[in-house]
Amino acid sequence: MFGYVRPPLDGLPDAETDRFRRAYCGLCHTLSRRGAVARWVLNYDFTLLAILLSDGDGPTDTRRCAVHPLRARPCMAPSGAMELAADESLILAYWQLRDHVDDNSGVKRVPFRAASGALRDAYRRAAAARPEFDRHVQAQLNILRRLERARCKSLDAPADAFAVLLRDAARDVEPLARRRVLEQIFYHLGRWVYLVDAADDLRRDALSGDYNPVALRYRLPDGLWTPDARRDFAVTLDHSVHHMAAAFELWDFGPWRPLLERIFYAGLFQIGRAVLDGTYHKPRK
Amino acid sequence: MKDPYQVLGVPESASDDEIKRAYRELARKYHPDNYQNNPLADLAEEKMKEINAAYEEITKRRANGYAPNSRAASPGGTYYETRYDSSYNASPNLQQIRRHIQAGNLTEAEALLNRYPDHNAEWYFLRGVIRYQRGWMDDAKSDYRRACQMDPGNTEYRQALHYMEHGPARTYSPYGSFGTDLCCASMCANACLNPGCVCPLICCY
Repeated sequence: MFGYVRPPLDGLPDAETDRFRRAYCGLCHTLSRRGAVARWVLNYDFTLLAILLSDGDGPTDTRRCAVHPLRARPCMAPSGAMELAADESLILAYWQLRDHVDDNSGVKRVPFRAASGALRDAYRRAAAARPEFDRHVQAQLNILRRLERARCKSLDAPADAFAVLLRDAARDVEPLARRRVLEQIFYHLGRWVYLVDAADDLRRDALSGDYNPVALRYRLPDGLWTPDARRDFAVTLDHSVHHMAAAFELWDFGPWRPLLERIFYAGLFQIGRAVLDGTYHKPRK
Repeated sequence: MKDPYQVLGVPESASDDEIKRAYRELARKYHPDNYQNNPLADLAEEKMKEINAAYEEITKRRANGYAPNSRAASPGGTYYETRYDSSYNASPNLQQIRRHIQAGNLTEAEALLNRYPDHNAEWYFLRGVIRYQRGWMDDAKSDYRRACQMDPGNTEYRQALHYMEHGPARTYSPYGSFGTDLCCASMCANACLNPGCVCPLICCY
């Protein structure tokens, strides 16, 4: 499901690109608190989660790691927000893998079972620190699984199950106004990610016969877009991006503003368009 | 009160034109149209009031002590703010549901709506508003469409459906265009040809 948020760094000043890299490296080091294997879950989506939960870009550390063993790289120092983002990322990634184990059979489930097994200890530590979020993620994924197994024809119902799951990532944020802004952003980011993922799988699911809410909603049994369906689907994505952008404007995200502005007003559109055109290549990680 | 120049994001040395430009940009961003039926509309309204007050304060200071009493006296005037049209002709219960929606009490509004026996055009419209605020965009559009079918002459329902069908392309964006399928040559060729339609599709301005 994850892997659709890519920060459009091209054209941003070096200072902004460096700031994003510091957050990416900072999240990686913070994840390693739960065990070295926890770093596997690192991706851009979770880095965006960390950025949105962070209050400013905070103090910087300089650290070496397995990827950069020779030259120490600057990274955001662990903070309450970073630790929250790291734990929530681990919980989300773990249950995503368990979901794949349940959804597949035979040899197909082997890699997911192996990966979730490797991640189990790190997940347990994160879940022990964030039990409510862990319970909420499981509950929402159960709702989603039920809807998918019933081959729900609504676009909104399964998207809502995933969106509510992500919205909960802001449950402990203060003050209230900031929490409301983040909940709105996370909800619509979750909705957008779920729908874009379904659109990206349209052709594959048509061949395999797997559930796809976009195919059912627009009656696309062969997984090919009709012009009307594509236009309608793009508009429903745009409504969610609009809600993210409108919420983003209601809180001061400080030094992250230029990067977030690019994501909410350009980056998500570029990715959505690439998915609809069939030219998007999801990163392996 | 916050420093009005800081609110508008301009230095004190800014010219009148620069101030007006900054004000208009912010007013466009936080305009009620941009937050219509948005669950965060109250936060946007606070922002809008802050921006209006800052602009009026700067205007007053620059008029060498002359304090205009009316908004019309400010250069360009200020945008305003009323979001909800209360002139509709609704039954008492549906008015109550509208008030709950306006106050952000969606659960209460939905409970009342579910108990309301007459599923007329307004009932579908209000269910669409609740669904929209909850993020159920596709289902909200279906409800607006149903409301329009039942009461084709109602402007409020038609505007809501038009917005859902054509998307927020007209919304504020620092890059000019807003949309997954906008800002490319093919979209210019797909401009809406519906007579009387005001959807913008102004990707190349």
